[in-house]
Order: sequence, then C-alpha cells, then structure tokens
Amino acid sequence: MNLNKIYRVAFLGAVASLFGCTAKDDFPGLEYAPNMYHSVAYEPLKQIKDKEAGMWVNSSEYEVGEYYSSNPNNPHEMNMREPVPNTVRRGKYLPYRIPKDSLELASRILKNPLDSTAEVIAEGKRLYGIFCSHCHGTNGLEPGPVGEKYAGVPSYQSPALKNMTQGHIFHVLSRGKGRMPSHASQLSIEERWEIARYVQVLQNQ
Amino acid sequence: MWPKQYNKRVRNSFVVLALALTTLFSQPAFSQADQVPTDAETIAKGETLFKQNCKVCHNVHTRLIGPALQNVYDRRTLPWIYAFVQNSSKLIASGDEQAVQVFNENNQVQMTAFDFLSEEEILSIMAYIKDQTDNPPVEEAAAAADSGATGTAQPEGLPTSYLNAIIIGALILLVLLLIVLFMIVRTLSRYLRQREDIPEADKELVETKNPLAILRSKAFIGIVAAVITAFVVKQVIDGLYNIGIQQGYAPKQPIAYSHKIHAGDYKIDCNYCHTGVTKSKNANIPSPNICMNCHSSITKGTNTGTAEIEKIYAAIENNEPIEWVRVHNLPDLAYFNHAQHVAVGKIECQTCHGPIEEMEVVRQYANLTMGWCINCHRDTELNTKGNGYYDKLVKLHEQESDKPFTVEANGGLECAKCHY
Repeated sequence: MNLNKIYRVAFLGAVASLFGCTAKDDFPGLEYAPNMYHSVAYEPLKQIKDKEAGMWVNSSEYEVGEYYSSNPNNPHEMNMREPVPNTVRRGKYLPYRIPKDSLELASRILKNPLDSTAEVIAEGKRLYGIFCSHCHGTNGLEPGPVGEKYAGVPSYQSPALKNMTQGHIFHVLSRGKGRMPSHASQLSIEERWEIARYVQVLQNQ
Repeated sequence: MWPKQYNKRVRNSFVVLALALTTLFSQPAFSQADQVPTDAETIAKGETLFKQNCKVCHNVHTRLIGPALQNVYDRRTLPWIYAFVQNSSKLIASGDEQAVQVFNENNQVQMTAFDFLSEEEILSIMAYIKDQTDNPPVEEAAAAADSGATGTAQPEGLPTSYLNAIIIGALILLVLLLIVLFMIVRTLSRYLRQREDIPEADKELVETKNPLAILRSKAFIGIVAAVITAFVVKQVIDGLYNIGIQQGYAPKQPIAYSHKIHAGDYKIDCNYCHTGVTKSKNANIPSPNICMNCHSSITKGTNTGTAEIEKIYAAIENNEPIEWVRVHNLPDLAYFNHAQHVAVGKIECQTCHGPIEEMEVVRQYANLTMGWCINCHRDTELNTKGNGYYDKLVKLHEQESDKPFTVEANGGLECAKCHY
C-alpha cells in the first residue's frame, strides 16, 4: 500500500512536470540534450552574458558555463563585430565620399555606371518595391501607406523632380535629403544605382 | 516774409513724414492679405501646386523641414516671396537680411529653386495657404470629439477581470445553495422516516434510494478512472513530444514592436529591415539607424504613443544595444541558411514564419523539427527558372527520372547538407 502511494505521487509529479514542457509566452520550453543546442563558437545574433549559465551540463575545460556565449573583447561584449575602421570593402566599387551638403555637385558630376538594360530595371523595380514603395508609392506618383503618415512625399513627376539626374537620385539614396534619411546601410552602391535607373523609368512614365 | 510759425509747421510735417516712412519700412507686420485672391478656382490650383512642390518640406500649420507657412503673406512682401521661392540661394547670396535670417533659423538647409513657378502660380499657392490659415483643418476638433466618445464608451463594457470575478462568485453561490438544499433534503427525509403516521404512498417516496448512490457504484468509478487515465496518458505523450520544440514561444521584447502595424498596416517589406535575408545565413535584426529612417519623423506610435519609440532614441543616445529576445533558436547541430531559401528558392517568409504581418508579438509559428524540414524538402519542387546554375542538373534529372525535380531529388535529404 505504501509503495502504491509512492508510485501514485511520483506519477502525478511526472505528469505535472510534463504539463510545463510546452513553449508558451516567455517560456521557450525544455531542451533535449542542451549541450548540442548551444554553439561553442561565437554566434553573431546570440548573446548570453551570464557566465554561470549551463554550468550543470559543463563538459569543457573552460571555467564558464556551457551556454555562456559572449565576447569580452568586443564593445558591449557582443559576438558580432563592426567593420574595422578606415578599411574599404573589396569589390567593384570604391566607397562613396561626396558629403551630404554637396547635392548639387553630386547631381552634376556623377554618372550611373549601369546602363538602362531590362535586367537592371527589373532588379531596380524589385528593390524599389522593397525599399521605396511604402513611402513613395508603387508608381512614384501617389504616396504609399507610410508616405501618407509622413504627409508630404514628392511625386517623381512634379516639375522639381521630373528632371533630377541619376547622380541626384544616387546622392539622396546614399546621404538622405530633407526627411528622408540615408539608406546606404541597407543598399549596396550597385543596388542604389539600380534603383536610380528604375526611378528614371518612373520619372518618364 | 515767411512767418516764423510756418517754419515750425514745415519742420513738424517733415518729422511726421520721416516717422511715417520709418514705420513703413522698419515694420514687417503689414497686411497684404487683401492682395491674395480668394476665389475657389485659384485656391484649387494653388492646392495642386502646393501638394506637388511644397508639401515635402512645408506644412501650413506645423513646422517640418521648413517653417510653418500660415500668414506668410503678412510676414513678408509678395515680391520677396516670389524671389525666395524662385531662387532662394540667389537671394541669400545677395545678402538680403530676411533671407539670411530664414536660412540660419532653419539649420541652413537650402530650399530647392522653383524657377519654373511663375509669380501668378506662387500667388495661387498663397491663396491656398490663406485658405488653410483662415480655415484650419477640423482634424483636431474631430480627434477631441473622438476621444470624448471613447471616454464615454469605456464605462459601458465591463473589464473582463470583473466579469470573471462575478461569474466565479455566482458559481460559488450556486454550489453553496446546492449543498444547503441537499442538507435540508437529508434532514427532512430522516425526520419523515421516523414518523409512522404518514400515508403508504408518501412512505414509499421517502424510502426510495438516494439518487446520488449511483456515484458510488463500481461501474461509474471505473468509467471515471478510465477517462482520467486516458487524459493523463495523452498529456504525458504530448509533453514528451514537446521537449526540444519551441513552437508557440512568444517572448516579451524590450520594445513592444508590432509587426502587425509595420508589416501589416503600413506594408513595409520584411526585407526593408531584415536586410540579410537574401544575402546571408541570418535574416538579421535591424539596428536602430534603420528604425530612425522613419522614426526621426514619426515620433508617436499607433498603440503606445511616444513611450516605446522613445526607447529607440534612448538606445542611440546612450549607445546601448537593444537586447531583443531571439525567438527562433535552431539547435547548433543543424545548419540553416536564409539566403538559399529566400533568394534562390524564392520561398515567402510566411511559409515558415506564419502570418507575421498579423502578429502584435512574434510567435514561433512552425515547430522547426527535422521531420518538418524533410517533409518540405520532399514535396517542394526546385525553383530552377532563370537560374543558370540548375540548367544541366534539370537536363540530367529529366533523362533519369520522370518525377518532379524536388529538393530531395537534388540531394536535399543528405545528412551532411544540414549536419556537419
């Protein structure tokens, strides 16, 4: 009878603990073989600063827990690193150096290195749909949903913008103008020139 | 001879004239409002021109990049306005005091030269501005009325917590009532059983077995026990299967960012913020500078007002990273690459992440188990169109098999594709 009672309590306890296995809200659920879940190498979009985390499954000779994932040599102990200052990315294009206030210079001297081919325009259109259309609208005439909130996004066909040069468009994408900030961190130089080609199509539609 | 008092009079009149001239030239607050046309046609024309050219940087009532334009025709002369609009930098370079002041007051942002606008067109814009100045938009009044309406509407619906408390209270009362009634029935029947002088029919009624006795029968207990055991066994099995699966995980984030508002209502493409999704293994969490592309101008949120947006400003000001909680945690033993699936396979984000554009708080939608991966690799045909890499592979596959060219057929189930 006594043994029976113990079994019963143990069974109920197991059931109760299993009810709590399902991930919900802030609880990520239980892990099976946690040593294999947590990366030993630095993962760029993960960070666990607690050195004790995972001490109970520790199998390494290091004196930190198995889950600890943080690089004390980086700013904010982050695992990802910023590009080294004063270095230039390898590839086709040199970094763009004309400063923000020289819009007029940029629109005069810059030439689009890409020809207006069907491929360039198709890629420009795809990128325009991702990075521009929510403000400037799908056809560059009527503002998109975010542009409505901004109350005041210019039409590419307004007399002031209709004849803007490729260099002007590239400079505004790279450095920003008015209430439009720079998009250089999201778009590579080549992508900016592709968008400029598609905007040219919208200017002349 | 010229009388002396005339001398004085002449002097006085000169003083008056000089005074009048100085007041005329030194005081900018003169009214030209009567020179601005008010007919509907001109206003409509001015509105079109304003929306095409000015709206980007100017608002009539509030300051944007440039100053608010209400009453501008009272503050400046019309010829000055024409000159400034047509070529502001020329006017500034000429050393015009007002122009330089305006330039300096507005962070030295140069206004585009609108040399294609004629004086007549600029005057029509003034007509629109005058119309807007005299008839301010009723939005604010409407908003006030709105908030008033919601204010009165709120007390009508009871909060759910109150409702729950009331229901629970009522249930407890009912149960107590049942117990009391049961006790009364028992006492009465015991009393009646002791009495001898009641009719035979009534006695039978009193003698009948307690209907609750069925609860003590072996069959009933057996059925209940079987149901409970089945339920518990199912929970145990489900619980065991859920170990290592984070489906449904929806952690609270440091900023109450809503995908529903950004991706759903405002239709911002996922790729706008998650810039790595077509280029790298990770889709990437946007850095605050991408937030600031819009939130440098939009300072008030739809749901939370300024409270949550200010956290972005604080993070930038204090140079403190925003510590978002990672929702999708693939175990380290499995390799997954976003670019391969999104850029090459052209799979929609929603296929794996579910209706993100409807989620206020992001929730892990798919279970991300190996079986789930493999099922998709078995069923999905490769997207080979326009991708030169696959040309020869497609030909080879067509020679050897008449089945569709799925991910599996291209080696998508080999262990080392994901585990190495």
